[in-house]
Amino acid sequence: MSVDAKVKGIISDQLEVAVEKLSMETTFEDIDADSLDIVELVMALEEEFDLEISDQEIENIKTVGDVIKYIESQV
Amino acid sequence: MNIFSKSYCQYPIIQGGMAVRVSTAPLAGAAAAAGGVGIIGATGMKVEELRQEIRKARKLAGSGKIGINVMYAARNFADLAKAALQEKVDLIIFGAGFSREIFSWGREAGTPIVAVVSSPRVAVLAEKLGAAAVIAEGSEAGGHLGTDLSVAEILPAIKKAVKIPVIAAGGLTDHHDIKRIMELGADGVQLGTRFVLSEECAVDDSFKKHYLGASREDVVLIKSPVGLPGRAIRNKFSEALALSRESIKNCSQCLKSCSHDFCILKALENSRKGLIDQGLVFSGQNVFKIKEILPVKKIFENLARAFQVRS
Ligand SMILES: Cc1cc2nc3c(=O)[nH]c(=O)nc-3n(C[C@H](O)[C@H](O)[C@H](O)COP(=O)(O)O)c2cc1C
Repeated sequence: MSVDAKVKGIISDQLEVAVEKLSMETTFEDIDADSLDIVELVMALEEEFDLEISDQEIENIKTVGDVIKYIESQV
Repeated sequence: MNIFSKSYCQYPIIQGGMAVRVSTAPLAGAAAAAGGVGIIGATGMKVEELRQEIRKARKLAGSGKIGINVMYAARNFADLAKAALQEKVDLIIFGAGFSREIFSWGREAGTPIVAVVSSPRVAVLAEKLGAAAVIAEGSEAGGHLGTDLSVAEILPAIKKAVKIPVIAAGGLTDHHDIKRIMELGADGVQLGTRFVLSEECAVDDSFKKHYLGASREDVVLIKSPVGLPGRAIRNKFSEALALSRESIKNCSQCLKSCSHDFCILKALENSRKGLIDQGLVFSGQNVFKIKEILPVKKIFENLARAFQVRS
């Protein structure tokens, strides 16, 4: 599975939104995710991809695309 | 381990951290010396100033516990937290946003990290990351708020959700209040407003007079540029906020993200210096119940009556 599909799958599970609703431009605000949702999402991603994401990087996450691009740059 | 056990401090009473420069060395040192935990409000300070305050508080504290409180929303959050760890504070309390990294810094330094929370969900996350305790802060509290529920409403659910100690905060002014909240399951308490009305609190006298003159109806909610509601005492400044935006000069970019509706740093500095009409006076909802300015030692003697059977 591509990083793209994996990340969308995790976001969909964690935040309980349909995968079809997630595009690169979807912001976390659009899907009603607050800062804590993002922290929890990041923890799930770290586990899946075996990497560490800093507070600073979490703050820069605004869209689904931001997450995918970040993970792709790390794996 | 319960960090608020009797072997840690005489009373499980935290004098809450209050920015900007409302709880500084004299207040924190006195609270620690009286058998509680004294917290310096670090938000709004520069790193060097914080180091000096910690050292001064230590001298006053004897063997008592000294910590700092810092808002995650502050741009220099990491610098302040790391400086406090180097100064070997006994604990760090943080709120207004959620940091994961602070838990690893705390672990490396061997310093307990405590998170201010308003829901079981954040409490569980904090416990998972290694928090030594959480502070369950209800909407009665002064300053920035994370919930519109009272402390009595949030405490039982948070207590049920975690095994670490849960400290209750918001609206507590005397030993009756403390007794009541301990009966609901709190492992300790944090008070802010009561300690502003102490001789040791370093704010201008007019700030304390504004507190003493406040009625129940005078305590209002404002919209803070931090992105959270804030509880304050109504004054010219808070009334003006409802009507118009301020034009901000000399922004020091003190926050990671700011609405720029007004400068909260300047508003809090002004009131603490005595320019009440040009500043924001943060205060808890139950300020009207407190009638006099007392030495911290006296305040502790009263509050400690809630713990007569503590062994
Ligand atoms: C003037 C003032 C400033 C405060 N500043 C902070 C702060 O910087 N960080 C924080 O976590 N809490 C802050 N608080 C909240 C206190 O630490 C404490 O949790 C709260 O005051 C408890 O409610 P009480 O005032 O009803 O006792 C502040 C409270 C007041 C009154």
